[in-house]
Amino acid sequence: MILNVENINVHYGAIHALREVSFTLSKGEIVALIGANGAGKSTSLNTVSGLLHPTSGKVVYLGEDISNTSPQEIVRRGIVQVPEGRKIFAKMSVWENLEMGAYTVSDRKVVDERMESVFMRFPRLKERRNQPGGTLSGGEQQMLAIARGLMAGPKVLLLDEPSMGLAPILVEQIFDIIREINDSGTSILLVEQNALMALSIADRGYVLDTGRVVLQGIADDLLHNPFVINAYLGGETTE
Amino acid sequence: MNKTLLSQSLRVGITFGVIHLFLLLIGFNAMLGSLFADIARVKQSGSIPASIFLVLYCALLGVWAGYSAAKKEDANVFGRKLVRGLIAGTVAGLISAVVSIIFAVLVTNKIDPRKYLAVLSLDFMRASLFNLPVVQGVAANFGVLAGAGLAGGLLTALSSFSKVKHAWKNFAGLVKGGLEKIRYCTSGKYHLLFKIIFLVVLAAAIFFLPTKWGSYWNYVIGTVGIYVILGLGLNLIVGLSGQLVLGYIAFFAIGAYTMALLNAPEPHNLMWGFWPALALGVVLAAFAGILLGLPLMRLRGDYLAIVTLGFGEIIRILLKSDLMTSFTGGPRGIQDIKGPTIFGQPFNTDVNFMYLIIGGVLISMFIYNRLKHSRTGRAWLSIREDETVARASGVNTVKYKLLALALGAAFAGLAGGIFASRNQFTGPDEHALMASINVLSLIIVGGMGNIPGTILGAFALKGLPEILREFANFRLLAFGALLVVMMLSRPEGLIPSRRPTLQIPEDPQSDEENKEVSHVD
Repeated sequence: MILNVENINVHYGAIHALREVSFTLSKGEIVALIGANGAGKSTSLNTVSGLLHPTSGKVVYLGEDISNTSPQEIVRRGIVQVPEGRKIFAKMSVWENLEMGAYTVSDRKVVDERMESVFMRFPRLKERRNQPGGTLSGGEQQMLAIARGLMAGPKVLLLDEPSMGLAPILVEQIFDIIREINDSGTSILLVEQNALMALSIADRGYVLDTGRVVLQGIADDLLHNPFVINAYLGGETTE
Repeated sequence: MNKTLLSQSLRVGITFGVIHLFLLLIGFNAMLGSLFADIARVKQSGSIPASIFLVLYCALLGVWAGYSAAKKEDANVFGRKLVRGLIAGTVAGLISAVVSIIFAVLVTNKIDPRKYLAVLSLDFMRASLFNLPVVQGVAANFGVLAGAGLAGGLLTALSSFSKVKHAWKNFAGLVKGGLEKIRYCTSGKYHLLFKIIFLVVLAAAIFFLPTKWGSYWNYVIGTVGIYVILGLGLNLIVGLSGQLVLGYIAFFAIGAYTMALLNAPEPHNLMWGFWPALALGVVLAAFAGILLGLPLMRLRGDYLAIVTLGFGEIIRILLKSDLMTSFTGGPRGIQDIKGPTIFGQPFNTDVNFMYLIIGGVLISMFIYNRLKHSRTGRAWLSIREDETVARASGVNTVKYKLLALALGAAFAGLAGGIFASRNQFTGPDEHALMASINVLSLIIVGGMGNIPGTILGAFALKGLPEILREFANFRLLAFGALLVVMMLSRPEGLIPSRRPTLQIPEDPQSDEENKEVSHVD
């Protein structure tokens, strides 16, 4: 078990956003958190990455409790978040965005190597490396956001709504990339509203509703679960 | 004759008429007329210039009105432009005539309205009628504006003639080509040579100018230099790390008061000497920056601005309060602050201080530049762009925000120390909110986040008002108008920041030698 979230409660002031949420992520797995708006998916990710701290419960990473560790330390240890909504640094060039991703890495050689491998994976970014991030198209920005996450050399990658606002063909591409990244050994925790896409590449999934885990299981089972089909897959039966 | 032509020209005419009325009521015409008289080297007694210069003022305003109206004409038809100019001028002239009639009535009845409008003396009103008898005066007021409006229209119509346009285009092309050439020469192959020549000339200028141009210019340019240091410091905080801090001048006050308290006979007579006091001022200011920063870390944007504004006011009011009078000298401030010495020799003439300020500016520029292009600088930029993402990327945002505040405050402390020592005086009112706003304006006017912009902004905001002294009371009016115009025409500042970008070479072979920081628009 690389990541183990145990009964966390998270509050935004008086609002109780997560109630006793638990989930796990094993090495090499893709785990999807699905649910409607406001179900607590992004809050869960932000708690794992240290942007938020749980009021009770534990986030255990590689056997250590990281629930009160600072975000920069968590990045350094290998959990990297790709924030929601393609939040890239719009006025910085693609190259600088990637450099920022490797901010916690002090070894220049490692940074250069990673840059190379990221450019191999995303040739489009290499073409546009001197262009300000804000001038890229939506799909390219999402790729940049993911590439920036990879620059930190993550063991666990937290992806927050990678398909948001993208055309279907681009969504396919992004999910192919996610699968490739997973194949090369990175464990992935994926938050998605597009439940069908998310569950089709995930190993396991958790369904969140109003701050609670209401359902969990193997991704394939969830895809055929009548509750999930009704609530998140628009009532259609899948293949 | 169509409707838009008429209504647009009418509107321009009314606008200019109202502007004329307003300027008349505050006596701007007399002031500008005096300036013309000065330029023409005509002696005048009192504040009212010879009539001819007032006519000139009216004519210029009329030409401007005519030009503005004619410019709105899309069709390239000679007559239509003339008509537009004439309409605008006539309308403005009518308004002017009405005002003149009122003036004339007041003058003939010897009613002095100065109780309500300070500049409207009988002499002034007579002068506004061009010292002519009533009827002719009113007619002249109308005629000059109307005629000038027509002239403005004519000017516009002529300038859109293809020949004139062509000549203008040629000229603009020539200038542009010249600039390109200079740019070419200063980049690439000739880069180094030009740089060296430029630096030598600059160094010579820096060395010799302060001894040549006299104490007045040393004072003016010295103040500009102080504000360059302040601007760079605030740029670190606002321009680079993106924290809108409004009470910045408080750090300047800390530097100035440290210098004053340690180096003046009153109220403590400590006499530490200049250099230790300067160093302590810098350290204390930086420390205050951190102290202020700690509670600020949770705030962003407007909230941050308001809290820091409060901080600035607290410092100023504390310095002024009865409570502190025995310690800081209260509202009177502190006088007779001793100047610096170098190896026991006094170093306190205006030229010496100019060198000191130039040294301070150079050091600040160097530090600013190094920081901006360092890892720290990039962390600041990422915080400015998106604090949450910066945190998610592993940037310790608290540390870097505090660092920006501390360093920016240290710059202000340095500037404050030198400033107090040079003026041999500091008092609480030097550190009012207006000074903070001045510093913020100068970096906005100059262009956020870059050194040339800061220098230009400091000249524009501190140097220009000094040069505009001629305008006396209208200084702030002219200055405000200038700011409005500038923000409309160049919203990103006179010199917009070009984002520095780490350039990686196209060709992987020459990797090491090409890796340099260059600029991309």
